[in-house]
Amino acid sequence: MSIRTTDAGRAHPDAELLDGVVTGALQWLDSMRGAFRLPADVATDADPNTTLKPLGELAELAQVLHALHPVAPVREAAADLFAFAWKETRDGELFAELVRGEPAGTYPVELYGVFARAGLRHPGAEELIGATTALRRWRVARDDHTRTLGVLNAEARVGLPPHARFDAVLACTGLGRCSEPWALDRKAAYGITHDVFHTTDWGRAPGRLPAPLADYLRLWLPAWTESWSEEQLWDLVGEFLAVSACLPDAPYDAGAWRRLAAARTPDGALPEIGDPPRRDADQQAVFTACYHSTLVAAFAATLARAAAPAALPQESERTP
Amino acid sequence: MAGQAQENSSLSTVVADVAGGVALALDGEGGSYALSALLAQRDTVALAAIRVLGADVLAPYALNGGAVRGGSDAPDSQVVRRALAAYPPGADASDVSLWSYRGLVEASRAFLPPGGEDWPVEPQAGDTWVRTDPWPKLAHRASQLAALSLPGLAPGLAAGLAARTDDLARGFVRAVRRRDWLQAAGLGRWLVRMPDVPDTLGLEAGLVFVHRMSGGDPRVSLHASAARCFPGGSR
Repeated sequence: MSIRTTDAGRAHPDAELLDGVVTGALQWLDSMRGAFRLPADVATDADPNTTLKPLGELAELAQVLHALHPVAPVREAAADLFAFAWKETRDGELFAELVRGEPAGTYPVELYGVFARAGLRHPGAEELIGATTALRRWRVARDDHTRTLGVLNAEARVGLPPHARFDAVLACTGLGRCSEPWALDRKAAYGITHDVFHTTDWGRAPGRLPAPLADYLRLWLPAWTESWSEEQLWDLVGEFLAVSACLPDAPYDAGAWRRLAAARTPDGALPEIGDPPRRDADQQAVFTACYHSTLVAAFAATLARAAAPAALPQESERTP
Repeated sequence: MAGQAQENSSLSTVVADVAGGVALALDGEGGSYALSALLAQRDTVALAAIRVLGADVLAPYALNGGAVRGGSDAPDSQVVRRALAAYPPGADASDVSLWSYRGLVEASRAFLPPGGEDWPVEPQAGDTWVRTDPWPKLAHRASQLAALSLPGLAPGLAAGLAARTDDLARGFVRAVRRRDWLQAAGLGRWLVRMPDVPDTLGLEAGLVFVHRMSGGDPRVSLHASAARCFPGGSR
């Protein structure tokens, strides 16, 4: 697959770098379709973390690229990957099987919501989901408020009544509580990025972020981005850059983007952490080490590109 | 090499001893304070330790608005004069070194008895960096100069740093993330004096956290105690 962006508008002052990140990522992801394919036992014995989760993330983020990227060939390549993911679910039949296997599970509904949002529906799966999500059992509070935001977002996508008030749940999250910015560990940091992604429908509706929370993020994102760049946790850095693009005026950290872009492999993949995998590493290992961060990089670059800040601020240098 | 290492190790021991004594005095637990009484010996290592801690060796004299001038019998003045003479900033001294020296001279003038002899003239120290440094570097330098946050010292520097309160607060976040407790505590000292510290930083809890997490590092204790003794912000 080859994606041309030269005919695209250059509204973003760093468009060349951002478009390079997206096209490199899309080409690598396209070459990795085999690793995204679902095994025959996906609804029974297979580990969902290595099967459904990667495919669901591919679908979620490819759909954002398709919806928001200003360059037509990028949108087309993303649409192609999204269609591939739907096909892997056997046009949604998989979701009926997953709900039958685990009626109280939220992940089949969350995954189905990704496709339902784009108008891809499966009537059988939807009948089952209607039955399971109508139960009082479905309304029992879950122990992870960030995940509950994801469930609420899925309910909205599928067209189900919300099982809780979104703003009340958001208020209980790491973001809603405005956690002390120095007290975040990696898990709490991922919690905050996902609080933003669920609230903004993955960057499509940045205006849904309450102003005090946007102010909190604007103040502390530079510190978090710098801190985790120093630790070379590129996956989380990519998520912070995506969050930054969800803020009013989308503050753009040119230095962090350059470091992230430089951490990629020659073929466009971004390692989750540290240096790229060795050239002779086996393909499944490379996939596991890179697939999520590569998707995140394409997602963040798309949101930044779509937001288009007026000018580039200066880069920072290294400090002990 | 071995000799150098030994000297460094003994310097850090003396620095820790003096810092611990200053922290106790600030907490009101050390009885009457005298720098000279904290120095077991008057050798070059003791003088170097004074130079390392800078104005902070006189911090207890800044309590109560500096009303009680230290060392009326003059041993503190003598030992500080010797430290200033032994370790003047060189021709190629960094801005941090110049500011730190300047801070010790200013603190001596403010908190020690005038005596017969003049204190050295404060060297000119560059402050362009206060406006132009990217925030991580600004925060690192500001923390190294935390002793200058004592009341009345370097008002121009304090004002310049106050204009970058958010950047120093980001530096505090980064320092805690790096478990660089000394840098974090030094930044905390500046931040408690600033009127516009962001609420969401949680500075007070942050200073307690840093102090506890440092496991009793005397230099961190000194900063934590000074932050408690010399607040100046709006909260």
